[in-house]
Amino acid sequence: MNETRLRIGLLRLTDSAPAILAQEFGYFAEEGVDAELHVEPSWANIADKLTYGFLDAAVVVPPLAFAVETGLRGLNQPLIIPCNVSLGGNTITLEIRLAEKLRTAAPALSVPAALRGLLEGRGAPLTLGIVHAYSTHNLLLRYWLASGGVDPERDVRLVVVPPARAVEALASGQVAGFCAGAPWGEVAAREGVGRAVATSDDIWRNAPEKAFAVRRHWADDNPDALKGAIRAMARAGQFCDAPENASYTGALLSRRRYLDVDSHAILSSLPGGAVVSRNTSRFWRNAATFPWLSHARWFLDQMARWNLLARDVDQAALAGRVYRPDIYREATAALEISVPVIDSKAEGAHTNTWDLEATPNPIAMDSDTFCDGTVFAPEGQPAAQ
Amino acid sequence: MTLRILLIDTDAERAHALEKTLSESSYAQVTRAGAEDLAAAVDRSRPDLIIIDMALPDRDALEDIRAVAAANPIVMFASTDDPTFAQEAIAAGVCSYNLSGVALADVKPIMASAIALFQRYRHVETELAAVRAQLDERRQIERAKAILMKDRRMSEPEAYRWLQKKAMDESRKLSQIVAEFVAAHEAPRRERKS
Repeated sequence: MNETRLRIGLLRLTDSAPAILAQEFGYFAEEGVDAELHVEPSWANIADKLTYGFLDAAVVVPPLAFAVETGLRGLNQPLIIPCNVSLGGNTITLEIRLAEKLRTAAPALSVPAALRGLLEGRGAPLTLGIVHAYSTHNLLLRYWLASGGVDPERDVRLVVVPPARAVEALASGQVAGFCAGAPWGEVAAREGVGRAVATSDDIWRNAPEKAFAVRRHWADDNPDALKGAIRAMARAGQFCDAPENASYTGALLSRRRYLDVDSHAILSSLPGGAVVSRNTSRFWRNAATFPWLSHARWFLDQMARWNLLARDVDQAALAGRVYRPDIYREATAALEISVPVIDSKAEGAHTNTWDLEATPNPIAMDSDTFCDGTVFAPEGQPAAQ
Repeated sequence: MTLRILLIDTDAERAHALEKTLSESSYAQVTRAGAEDLAAAVDRSRPDLIIIDMALPDRDALEDIRAVAAANPIVMFASTDDPTFAQEAIAAGVCSYNLSGVALADVKPIMASAIALFQRYRHVETELAAVRAQLDERRQIERAKAILMKDRRMSEPEAYRWLQKKAMDESRKLSQIVAEFVAAHEAPRRERKS
C-alpha cells in the first residue's frame, strides 16, 4: 500500500496519549498513514510549524487552532478539526499556603468567590500562570475567576508559563498559581509546592480540551488518509479510556522520547489510573472524540469576550469552517461505533446523566454544566437537549 | 537608527557569536537573556526585536507579549510576506518577534545573520549526534559480543557473525538487533541489583 506521510505535532502532556498510542500500536500504519510524531517544546512552535507547513497536523488546544486559522499570530494557515481528542484534565493549582488559606477562609463560598475576598486585602494583583494566550486554560481560568467576581484583567495578572515550566515557576514564586494540563498539577502536588483548588470539571463538566487539527490543504490532498487518521485516533481514544489500560498507557507516555515524567504522576490523570478519580482526561466516554460545533462556538464566544478575537468575526461561519463533524461521521462509519446525529448540544443544560441521540445506539452522557449555571446555546443552534 | 535586540538563547557560545556579529553592525544594541522571567526581561530592555531559540519552551512565555509591549500585535518572523525566509528560520531553529513595528527591510539582515549562525551550529550538532550514535552502536556491539562469548561460549568472530545473521534473517538493522539483545540480557541483572 502507498503510505501517506502525516507529521503530527504534540506537547509533553497526558492528553497526547491517543496520538502516541495510535503510533506505537500501528493504528496509523494499518490505515496506510505513515505518521511521524514530533514532540515540540512549546505551543508557539506547534502553531508556527503548522503555519509554515512543517507539520501537517497537531494535538492542540482549540483556541490556538482558531488563532492559526484566522492569522491572529501573523500569517494564517487554514485548519480543520475533524475529531476531538480529550475532555477535562486541567487543574488550577495554587501555591500551597494560599490554597490552605482559601480552604479555611470562607467554606460556604465558592473557591473563586473566596479568592475574591482574599484579594480585596492585597495591594498588588495576584500573578497566575496560563500556558498560552490562545489556550483552553486561559479561557477556563478567566471564566472561573469571573464567576466568583474576580476581574481577570484587573484583580490578577495573567502571565504565560509553558506547562513544563509551571511547577518551577510556582516553586520560585514567579507565579502564585497556574492553570495547566495534566500531569503538571499532580507534579506540583507531589513536590509539595502547590495544591489543586479546581479542575476543568469544577468549571465546566466534561469541558473539551485537546483537538486534532489538520492543515486543510493536507486534508484536501489526502481525503482517504485523513479518514484513516481519524479512525486511528478514535480507536486509540477507546484504548486510552479503558481503565484496565491505564498502567500500560502511563508507562508508554513516561518514556523519555515522549513525556519523560514519572509514570505515577501521569497515571493519576488517566482513566482508571487514579485512586481518587478527581481529574482524569476522558478520551472516549461522553462522545469525547466528537467535534461538537457547540464547543467551537463556546471557545469563540469566550475569545471574543476577552478581546482575543475581534467582535465582528462571524463566529458561526468560523466554527463551521474549522469543526467538521461531517468528516468525523464519514470516517468512522466503518468502525461500527455510535455517532451523535446532531452537531451541537445545549452546553450546560444537562445537570444529570442523559442519553445522547446517536446512531446506531444512544450514547450515555454525563453532565456538562458550568460553574455559574449558564446554559450556552448560541443562535442558529437547536436549544433542545 | 539603532535597533534594540533581545537575544534569548541558552547556548552561551552561539549567543555570544551572534551578539558579536550583530554588535559589529552599528545599528544593533544587543541584550542577552537566559530562561528567566521573560516578560520581565522584555519589560526591562524594551526591545524592538526579539530573537529566540525555538527549542526553548520559554517561547510560549513571549506569546502574550502584549502585556509588556505596545498594544501592537506581534509580527512573526519579521517578514511574513516572505514565507521562504520564515521557513529557513524555522528549519534553522530560530524565531523572531518584531515588537515595535520597525521596517522589515531593517530587520531582515539581522535575522539573516541569526539564521546563518543557527544553521552552522545545527550542522555541528547533527555531525556530533551522528558521531555519538556511531560510538554508541560500536559500544553496544562490543557488549552484545561479550554476552554471547560468555553465555554461549562463542569466539568473537562467531559472536559477530551470529548477530549479523540474526539481522539479515529478520531483515532489520544490526544496530536494532544489538540494542534489543543487550537490553533483553541486561534487564534482569539490573532488577536483581535494585
